[in-house]
Amino acid sequence: MRTSEVMKRPVVTMAGEDVAQIKDIVYASGGGAVGGFTLAGRGLFAGPLKVGLAWRFVAALGADAVMISDDSVLQPIAEVLAESASTGGSGGDVLGSQVLTDAGTDLGKVVDIVLQVGDTQGGQCDVVGYEVEASEALGSKGTRVLIPLPDTLAASGEHLMVPARAKDFVAQDLAGFGAAILAFRAQLEGTP
Amino acid sequence: MRFSEASGRQVVSTSTAATVGKVDDFVVDPRRRAVVALVLKKTESGDTLLWSSLTAFGTDAVTVTGAEQITAPPPEIQALSGKDHRILGKRVLTTSGDDIGKVNDIEFDPETGTITALVLTGGDMAGISLVGVGSYATVVRPQ
Repeated sequence: MRTSEVMKRPVVTMAGEDVAQIKDIVYASGGGAVGGFTLAGRGLFAGPLKVGLAWRFVAALGADAVMISDDSVLQPIAEVLAESASTGGSGGDVLGSQVLTDAGTDLGKVVDIVLQVGDTQGGQCDVVGYEVEASEALGSKGTRVLIPLPDTLAASGEHLMVPARAKDFVAQDLAGFGAAILAFRAQLEGTP
Repeated sequence: MRFSEASGRQVVSTSTAATVGKVDDFVVDPRRRAVVALVLKKTESGDTLLWSSLTAFGTDAVTVTGAEQITAPPPEIQALSGKDHRILGKRVLTTSGDDIGKVNDIEFDPETGTITALVLTGGDMAGISLVGVGSYATVVRPQ
């Protein structure tokens, strides 16, 4: 799923109470996984909350709600950020960054991030791809395409570095993207 | 028996044979997956009849020993009643966070009050799948 779809999704306890909604995503593992979420209150005029939600407390990330056991799992934002940073995440925003291949080709600007949820309750929520507004190098300038990511990648505030071969696994929509990621990562592992 | 057919049913006293109220609503404890009390209307005093104080939930009437069984809601019942805890009409979320429709009706065992099935817009679910009922949603665990 795309991160833009996760935004504003309600956070609901197993008792059926909507305690918050997703405000933003906190990245961990150098931007390669979701470490947690910052939250906003429910309702039109509710502002950001002082508590956040670490990924390990997410019972399920569904199509319509983020499920948690109860509101006791919410912890101060600083703790959520600290936990994500301790696993090497910058927590910085990659939207708008330029994607460069290690061969020095500009692939375009990041407009959205593609997530894949492993088995929750212990499983990771991986960042598996970027949706990019394509540059000329991809031959479809201006359109939005999906670029698969390796398990780990280098990211600064301005550039994101991906292997040149990622270019060969670009997908047009999410339907074929899962297979593209698997093929891409298998090839990376196969040829060191 | 379903909430839709049981609602509006007369509550009759076995000592005086007089109608002491009408069933208006149900208070459900999602933890026990059971009806724990009835909310009545057209009563003389109080509006709550605990499941444990009723004599029988029959096919034509609910019987109680007398009107004195109908009381004001005790705190534990009050905590479970009100709009926030009403199951009917509420959005249904699975424990994996997917919206699967609304609760149209509920089937319960008139002997024990245990909820046997949830009638959802997308089909029936066993009563055992009920996890919680809150202001935002009824949460169910898909089998």
